[in-house]
Amino acid sequence: MSENETTDDARTDGGETGIVAPDDEVPTWSERKERKAGLSRLTYEYFERSRREDQDLRNESDYVERDVLGFPTWPHEIIRNLSISMFFVGMIVLIAAALPPSLEAPADPSSTPEIILPDWYLYWSFGLLKLNPLNPGLAVLDGGKLLSDQLYGVLANVVVVGAVALLPYLNKGSARRPVEQPFWASIGVGGAVFSITIAALAVQNLIPLPLPLQLNIVFVFPVVAGIITYAVLKTMREGYMYGLNRRYYMLRPPK
Amino acid sequence: MSLEKKDDFDHYGWLKTKDLTPIESVFLTTLVFLDRRLRIVDYLELLEDAYYKVNLQMPKSHTEQYDLDNKFWYWYPLYSLGFFSTLAYIVAAVSGALLGFYYAPTAAGDPSAAYNSIEMIMTELQFGFALRSIHRWAAQIMMAAVFLHMLRVYFTGSYKEPRELNWLLGIILISLSMVFGYTGYLLPWNQLAFWAGQIGVEMALATPIVGEWAAQLLFGGFTLGQATLIRMYILHVFVLPFVVTALIALHIGIVWVQGIAEPH
Ligand code: HEM
Repeated sequence: MSENETTDDARTDGGETGIVAPDDEVPTWSERKERKAGLSRLTYEYFERSRREDQDLRNESDYVERDVLGFPTWPHEIIRNLSISMFFVGMIVLIAAALPPSLEAPADPSSTPEIILPDWYLYWSFGLLKLNPLNPGLAVLDGGKLLSDQLYGVLANVVVVGAVALLPYLNKGSARRPVEQPFWASIGVGGAVFSITIAALAVQNLIPLPLPLQLNIVFVFPVVAGIITYAVLKTMREGYMYGLNRRYYMLRPPK
Repeated sequence: MSLEKKDDFDHYGWLKTKDLTPIESVFLTTLVFLDRRLRIVDYLELLEDAYYKVNLQMPKSHTEQYDLDNKFWYWYPLYSLGFFSTLAYIVAAVSGALLGFYYAPTAAGDPSAAYNSIEMIMTELQFGFALRSIHRWAAQIMMAAVFLHMLRVYFTGSYKEPRELNWLLGIILISLSMVFGYTGYLLPWNQLAFWAGQIGVEMALATPIVGEWAAQLLFGGFTLGQATLIRMYILHVFVLPFVVTALIALHIGIVWVQGIAEPH
């Protein structure tokens, strides 16, 4: 390196500006924060707080940290992931080869087909649209309906999706296994069964059962499934797995 | 600083003094080239720093902490369903991009040009039949995987704090995936497509206040036609791919940051 021998007039890069603040004049973070106002100041303050909180938690924690970093990405993870992925994509191609799609008749606005259906994954929504027999007629309206049948169906969709969205705010706590919360597990099983029975309602004209009976099935089956789930899980609680779980909650992690 | 080029920073000279395999030397040459122009190494350093902050001190997993090595959390295989959704999504995206070369979103003609283009894909195009089949099945399988993924998240209680956000994001994702499927379903412009579209319009119109506006926006009017088809097409091949891909990335990013919910 020839840097040290270079004299000032031999410099070709213009040298330093000489206007860098001396160290003791550079504002510290706290000082900067104090100069700020409003939102940015709040942001700084919050960051400082949360950093302090993290540090406190870390100091307090008796959490065990391990000296092993993890499995090496290559070959362990990559080979496993590749084989799973290739198998999965292979299955898609295999199914696609075995069961090719058809191309029905072209669109014809003048002839309504007997069966109008979306793809299967929308049956549940389609079934909810067909709940109109349950749309109550009101005596005060001379049997007229407060909501049109279509609106009733749309609202049913909104209610179902809304209920699913609210879930994390309804069921809180740290329980994870179904045995720990038989009630919520039975709600889940009931919901899953309902998504199937309501989908069956979407194809009601293909099912040789009277409509009132079908409507009953739509709501009774999920409830029955839920009750069975509840009973089974309550029984499982007596078993050893549940006791095992509860103890792990109580224990602090071993050092 | 000296004007002479020979100093510590003569990287190419340094390269020559090393005994490198061709791969190594191509790699290093590229790295040096990019670094001299874009200061790559600074960024790599940042990344490396972040990587080690995240990974260096992986806390013990639950099973390790409680010395449960011999116990298997029997739900674990189901934790792959989210990944399967992603994979099927990628397969659908790739096959869909290929189909897009040949599909024509035009309702005019008898039968429509759209219908004809699908017919051409299925009968004349090399591998067209397979391509359409793969695209459809990938979409079906993605939906199935997403439903099951949602069930596994429910039954393992993984939606609880602090993962509510991902649950809500998941609901948006599953809804958008269904819209994805629905718009795709309309594209062949066959009987099924047309009448499924009809129901869509009716549903939109039944919604109070925003109904007519929504029907105009999504279906391009109250009766189905060219306007509907082109809207479905743009949603299916332009809007939704970007939105859904970004949301999936966000969804998985959040899982990465938060870590998978551990069973107890
Ligand atoms: C396009 C659809 C979706 C994709 C591609 C996707 C992808 C993923 C992936 C790859 C994971 C990592 C863990 C795993 O694979 O199980 C994950 C986790 C998660 N997903 Fe999804 N997901 C989708 C839809 C949903 C839906 C519909 C919900 C629920 C309403 C949801 C809620 C969650 C939650 C809460 C987690 C965190 C689970 C944990 O930490 O154990 N996702 N998702």
